[in-house]
Amino acid sequence: MNCESVTKLIPLYFYGELPPEEEDCLEQHLDTCAACARQAESQRVLSAALDRRETQPSAALLAECRHDLMRAVYRQGALVGQAGSLRPIANRPLHQSPLAAFGAWLPSLGPWRMPLGASALLALGFVTARLTAPGAAGPFSLASLTPDVISSIRSVQPAHEGGQPGEVQIVLDETRRRVISGQLNDTNIQRLMLAAAHDENNAGVRWESVDLLKSHSDSSPVRELLLNRVAEDPNAGVRLKALDGLKTFTGDPDVRKVLAQVLMHDDNPGVRIAAVDALTAHADDNMVGFLQSVVQKEDDTYVRRRCVKALQDMNASVGTF
Amino acid sequence: MAQDAPGAVGVRLSPKLDEASLIRAVQRGDQDAFEQLVRAYDQSVLRLAVNLLRSQEDARDVFQEAFLRVFRSIDSFRFDCSFHTWLYRIVTNICLDNLRKRKVRKEEPAVVDTPEGPLDRMNDFEEEAAHADPERSMWNRQLGQRIEGALGGLTPRERMVFELRHYQGLRLRNIGEILGTSEEAAKNCLFRATQKMRAVLGDFQ
Repeated sequence: MNCESVTKLIPLYFYGELPPEEEDCLEQHLDTCAACARQAESQRVLSAALDRRETQPSAALLAECRHDLMRAVYRQGALVGQAGSLRPIANRPLHQSPLAAFGAWLPSLGPWRMPLGASALLALGFVTARLTAPGAAGPFSLASLTPDVISSIRSVQPAHEGGQPGEVQIVLDETRRRVISGQLNDTNIQRLMLAAAHDENNAGVRWESVDLLKSHSDSSPVRELLLNRVAEDPNAGVRLKALDGLKTFTGDPDVRKVLAQVLMHDDNPGVRIAAVDALTAHADDNMVGFLQSVVQKEDDTYVRRRCVKALQDMNASVGTF
Repeated sequence: MAQDAPGAVGVRLSPKLDEASLIRAVQRGDQDAFEQLVRAYDQSVLRLAVNLLRSQEDARDVFQEAFLRVFRSIDSFRFDCSFHTWLYRIVTNICLDNLRKRKVRKEEPAVVDTPEGPLDRMNDFEEEAAHADPERSMWNRQLGQRIEGALGGLTPRERMVFELRHYQGLRLRNIGEILGTSEEAAKNCLFRATQKMRAVLGDFQ
């Protein structure tokens, strides 16, 4: 073993990465070579200096990181809509748009992929047409079906009396898609959006409508809608979105009353956490007793911890005496 | 004298559940199991990020992104390697991205010059440093500045290998596995890193 090879092996020797026989050879060399021994000493001093540099993250930083992480995880769990359990979704892109992600995560929400706003159009009435409309000229061609018409076959029967042999009659029900554009502050548009936000068959439309309307939460009908959705919507994602829209009104007693109910009764921990955050965003000493009672009854460890932290932030005791 | 690797870093699993059972529980959607799994590793992950990036904010981001990736992709974990190795692949990838971006942006170092002398911005959360005696504190500051300069001269990969070996106590073989390279390449990285640092620290030692 010569000085050149020893130089290369000193870091490995120091970190215990050499096999025993190589370590023995190196130690023998160090006993007889002052230059290499100085290098080994230099390595030891370097290591000691680096040890002094090591930073241990504070307990507070670790606690904050854990809190932020579990909050993010619960929110994702909430979007999945399963109270009390998480459903990790493999290979999901990190930055999907909320609605796209919503559709991808919720197979049961398949209908939302139908034209958005379809339910709103219901409020205007169906526009129906028959392919064999009176006066329609020429034979029906499938090619004439346009993509903005949703058709379903109601019945198939032999052609009416006097028809050609072999002729059949097919009756289709059609919903024609219409596009309506307008400003959200337009009363008619807002009315349609409010109707869409109640479409019980399509959580995707409700989510999208609430998301768009929440920027107009200064309007009374919109705020009422948000309060209604946060308390009543069967989908946790919609409830979270509505809760998000109420954040600027957390000082309003009516809003606080609903949020308190949500915290007490919502079955989804992610929604309850969002309710804690919204309620504690507004300084209110009356919250202390309420949060203490939530801590007593809350089953979910993380929601309970979040309430405890809120109480600690308010310099209040966690327990009741 | 030689620091030995403690094996899997920071693992403190409840005796009730072995790690494989815990992971399977997470894959079934058990939130408590996920939290328990996080708790087994999160201190060492945060320590790695804090020491490597010397920024609380960046460390916090790495922590969150790494464990969210674990949460999102745990279904794809097939026990082909240890969970520790799998997790550390995620963590080191995120940290390396961060270090590389810093190199491109040429971000300010953790130690900055001030009218009162060099100041390690990380001292703000090194709680014990505030209680050190002034002479030692000054020496530490100067040494800290020199060390940060030395570490700043390493490539992100050299920095990572050094961090994992010196501070996390991982074996070079494991480090190679985590970084997707050979043990030999990890050895060479460690050698280059220590040589560079010894050269920079030189007379200060």
